[in-house]
Amino acid sequence: MIELKIDNQTVEANEGETVLQAALRSGIEIPHFCYHPCLSVAGNCRICLVKVDGRPKLVPSCNLPVAPGMTVETDTEDVRAARRAVMQFITLNHPGDCGICDKAGECRLQDYHVRYGEEESHSREPKHHRPKFSDLSPRIVLDNERCLLCSRCVRFTREVSGSHQLGIVERGSHARVERLEGRPFDDPYSDNVIGLCPTGALLSRDFLYKSRVWYLEPVRSVCTGCARCCSVNVWRRQREWHVRALGAELNRAAYRVTPFENPAINGPWLCNKGFDLHRRMARKRALTPLIGGREATAEEAVQEAKRLFAAAGNPAVLAFAPASNEELAAFRDGLGRRVQVYTREDYHTEPGEVAEDDFLIRGDKNPASYSIRALFGNRPYAPAARHDLVVIWGERVDYHALGGAKLIHLASFEPAGETAADLLIPVSTTFERSGTFTNFEGKVNRFEKVFDKPAQVLHAGDLFGRLVP
Amino acid sequence: MKKEYWNKPALGLRERLYLLEVIRGLCITGGVFLGNMWKWLTFRKGALTAYYPEEIRSDYSPANRGRHVLTRRENGGVQCVSCNMCATVCPAYAIEILSAADFDDPCHPKSPERFEIDYSRCIFCGFCVEACPEDAIRMVKEVPDFPGFDRDAMWAGRDLLMNWRPTGDPAKQYPAASPSPVEVQP
Repeated sequence: MIELKIDNQTVEANEGETVLQAALRSGIEIPHFCYHPCLSVAGNCRICLVKVDGRPKLVPSCNLPVAPGMTVETDTEDVRAARRAVMQFITLNHPGDCGICDKAGECRLQDYHVRYGEEESHSREPKHHRPKFSDLSPRIVLDNERCLLCSRCVRFTREVSGSHQLGIVERGSHARVERLEGRPFDDPYSDNVIGLCPTGALLSRDFLYKSRVWYLEPVRSVCTGCARCCSVNVWRRQREWHVRALGAELNRAAYRVTPFENPAINGPWLCNKGFDLHRRMARKRALTPLIGGREATAEEAVQEAKRLFAAAGNPAVLAFAPASNEELAAFRDGLGRRVQVYTREDYHTEPGEVAEDDFLIRGDKNPASYSIRALFGNRPYAPAARHDLVVIWGERVDYHALGGAKLIHLASFEPAGETAADLLIPVSTTFERSGTFTNFEGKVNRFEKVFDKPAQVLHAGDLFGRLVP
Repeated sequence: MKKEYWNKPALGLRERLYLLEVIRGLCITGGVFLGNMWKWLTFRKGALTAYYPEEIRSDYSPANRGRHVLTRRENGGVQCVSCNMCATVCPAYAIEILSAADFDDPCHPKSPERFEIDYSRCIFCGFCVEACPEDAIRMVKEVPDFPGFDRDAMWAGRDLLMNWRPTGDPAKQYPAASPSPVEVQP
């Protein structure tokens, strides 16, 4: 432990920490653009300059290791003057188009400009223009004018994702972020640079101009893309900003997905499949119960399921992949002991998708397979057992492979096949309930309800107790 | 104790008698009524009342905040950049904007695909005009066709706000004016 003084406050820091880290940890705010706790120190933005006793010039605190007895001041007049000057330089060629920038509202540059900058630019030269709105990749829009060359995105591809696909080319006011020559920016973690960017230079093509960020609020959820079960924030419209004329479906839409910092599982990162979680959830839902292809109410569907169960001699259940731990427990207690349970994997690696790597992406694409295996083992469906009723709890099932048994399908999304099950009961998605998943390492991760479930949709966990005759 | 007000009326005998004052008031209203009636019967202009909506009053204050208009660029496109400042500042949550991206026009990449104002909620405070960084939304003094029987029918969309042409605005030229209602001089 090293003791130092920051702003007349005694702060304890670990050996090897920097002044900026020690200050942030003890609640002293030092502005920073290029510093990020998970990336190396670049020290190129110079906004974190502080005054250190005994040194003639101001020092960048992100690159200053703590030393015993050090006295640091972060809010003196010359530090403030230096920050104002640095902001003048950083915003020298910044277009100032916050009105049409998606980052506005969560932009570090905007916040610091209000807090530490000056109202007017001292420069009387016309602003230098650089390429605007080029496609860095099909997922990311790059606006070089807004870029302040902090190199966070470049360091991300070098140090975290390891793809080395970005770099800064040219010099002076021509310097810009660029891909490797002739190579696409197809890093499977590329969308992280959007959140890393301290300004609006890198923007998500999917979220582009969908909504201003202050209309939205994040809800903690879990990505169901693979067995890692990363924590994510799902952004929905705030209650007071619900729209009326533009269509009520916007109020029930997940606008974007960003990583939720969870050091135990995913840190502050997420793969592109996780960033696309809301698009997978926006597939066509199964919304009405169907009894033999005929629309019915949820109550009629439950009665029909009861009847089928009472008539069945040898029922079986194919257990689902994205079922939360609570649902699986309800299933085991309500139904699991009376029927033969088979497990299956609904999702497999799709063409063009990264199968597995040593960072976040897992080969097993089913979020609940750890819990299912712990409860029921690994038992694939055996047609030889001659079941006369099969409950399918999941999706992507080939009905023909189940023989001539009666079928009850609990599905969140509309089943793809041409033939209908004898009974289709729509169940809620992970966005419509709260619960927990256990990832492949046995770590439990919590998710919260983002939207209310549609009227005729049932929570699978409530259903099982009612199915038993 | 009964509270004494600073502006407590001092009533003379005339006011106390009450009936005389009532007759005086009736004379004023009756005079206006008969004057209006006479002008109406003889087809003269200048009645104190106007036949809304066929006639609208022309003596709104120039500072009156009436219906919104969306201004246009020189090329006829909408001036609005869909920054949502008006919708954000609106205390009645009356403005809803759906944005569209068009990177072929790098000077104007963001524009409103839909721009909806709910006149059943609008309180005509003018904050939207003040908040607009582009002078894209204004309120003109005229207030046409606000009443309705259905709240859902009281939304004004982008086309209405862009194409509705009030008579004359010295600061910014609008494309050719459409025939406007008759203005009456009281």
